[in-house]
Amino acid sequence: MAEEYAIEVEGVVKTFGRLRALDGVSLRVRAGEVYGLLGPNGSGKTTLIRSLVGLVKPDAGTVTVLGRRMPDVGILNRIGYMTQAAALYPDLSVEENVRFFAAINGTEDNVDAALDFVELGARRRSAVVELSGGMRTRASLACALVNRPRLLLLDEPTVGVDPQLRRQLWDRFRAMADQGTTILVSSHVMDEAERTQRLGLILFGKLLAEGTAQELIARAGVQRLEDAFLKLSEVQP
Amino acid sequence: MTAIWFRILAQFRRDRRTLALLFVIPLVILSLLYFLLRGSGGKPNVDLVNEDQGPVGSVIAQALQRGDKLSLHDTSLSTAQADVNAGRVDAYIHFPSDFSERALSAHVVQPEVRLEGSQPSASGTVVSALAQAMQAALSAAPGAAPFTVDVRVSYLHGGPGFDTLDYFGAAFIGLVVFFLVFVVTSVSFLRERSQGTLERLMASPLRRGEIVVGYMLGFATVAFVQSVEVILFSLYVLKIHNSGSVALIFLISLLMAMSAVNLGIFLSMFARTEFQAVQFIPLVIVPQVLLSGIVFPIETEPNWLQLISKVLPLTYAVSGLRDVMIKGADLGWASVQLDLGVVLGFTVLLVAAAAATLRRRVA
Repeated sequence: MAEEYAIEVEGVVKTFGRLRALDGVSLRVRAGEVYGLLGPNGSGKTTLIRSLVGLVKPDAGTVTVLGRRMPDVGILNRIGYMTQAAALYPDLSVEENVRFFAAINGTEDNVDAALDFVELGARRRSAVVELSGGMRTRASLACALVNRPRLLLLDEPTVGVDPQLRRQLWDRFRAMADQGTTILVSSHVMDEAERTQRLGLILFGKLLAEGTAQELIARAGVQRLEDAFLKLSEVQP
Repeated sequence: MTAIWFRILAQFRRDRRTLALLFVIPLVILSLLYFLLRGSGGKPNVDLVNEDQGPVGSVIAQALQRGDKLSLHDTSLSTAQADVNAGRVDAYIHFPSDFSERALSAHVVQPEVRLEGSQPSASGTVVSALAQAMQAALSAAPGAAPFTVDVRVSYLHGGPGFDTLDYFGAAFIGLVVFFLVFVVTSVSFLRERSQGTLERLMASPLRRGEIVVGYMLGFATVAFVQSVEVILFSLYVLKIHNSGSVALIFLISLLMAMSAVNLGIFLSMFARTEFQAVQFIPLVIVPQVLLSGIVFPIETEPNWLQLISKVLPLTYAVSGLRDVMIKGADLGWASVQLDLGVVLGFTVLLVAAAAATLRRRVA
């Protein structure tokens, strides 16, 4: 039962006081696609991702995820959500953290596989507080995918991560996508954005442009994605 | 140095709530103390039963009135006994019919004092006021021979060995458990938010109610062990007076701990930082300590303060614990049923409030 689209966002508006965090965003992500959400800090990326898991209730518009109109608690066990900062219990060990989120989703059988996937099997007994930043990020990823999600939402997963680890993480995202997992990843890092199949450029709560990295570069008439990003951003304040 | 000085002031200016707390809370607390201590005052209520057929009883009664340490009501012995048994008065003083006769013939002054006994301070006041009155009355008697004074004191609850610790101990068992559980829960729930794990929990298939109840079970387990420790230590090491069932004491303090957990979750929703959560402590704890009858009996408060006292959960826990430990009450007592019912009601209400606020944060 594969819906054609894993994510369908239609005309979503969300205001916080006077701030229009999302200003009529519409986008669709196909099942099995790796979609990059590109935009500067404060452009609305995180608000959009939170609306996909039902943590933000749109003022207008609809959000449909894996065929279900959000918010819908019933579908959340099929979604993996990796928050911007590594959200873990610092006093607990890596394994205890992963096991906790597995227990919530009823997938305790997948704990070892998740730990191996992020190559933390050897450090499973270490308390999170003793880990380096990169290891925490990997532990956080393990918590997000321990429920074998069909949709993985990654909010700036590689901020503060060194280039080697970033490459490793992307290899893993690719591997998951190859097995049919839909991945939506937000970023403001260009080389990362180029690894996705399709990109959405978001600014001031609006989706300005959409397409592959090549298409965006061609549309802006420049050489590099970074320039395309800057040029397309100039369209309006 | 001045940079630090000005930076601190700038931070205070931004954090309006801290500022309000710093300047408003002391006034509130001092005003409460004012009303508690300057109010109608803590004169013990005493029934005076004067059956004396001679003059001595009324002379001492007049001296008691003049002494103005007690709030006296003339009544019959049967009414006085009923009043003490029901806790409507702190004591009755009884001058028997042969009071004058024995004083004049045998030079023995032998009034009877029956103390309700659950409040050592009131008991002490009654006995000392009577002693003073007799001293004044007898020394004024012209050319009288020295009298042998023999006050026959008896207690409904407690006894002569019953002291202030016994009175406060019962209440403090409830307070200590409530206070610590509240602080630990509110800070740790707030940490759940600041470290981002709450966001993760909210994006999980768990329902809000499940998160709140799960939290409650976790902390209730710790509170359970803490209650056992506090109660055993109070009863068997400090030897605080207890004439009731230990299981019932335990039940009350456990319910108290549960409502503290939920109050902690509920209030931590209104704090952004652990610093702000800590500020709730004086706001939540101090008024309860002052108004729940731990130190100042609720009956001695001005009426409008009594209204506030009656909506505080700790009031009922304290009254329940005192009924059980001092008066030996059991589940059959209407007052204990009321106290347990109200504490249970508060717990349920706070679970609902905590779950509701959790939902609101999401919208």
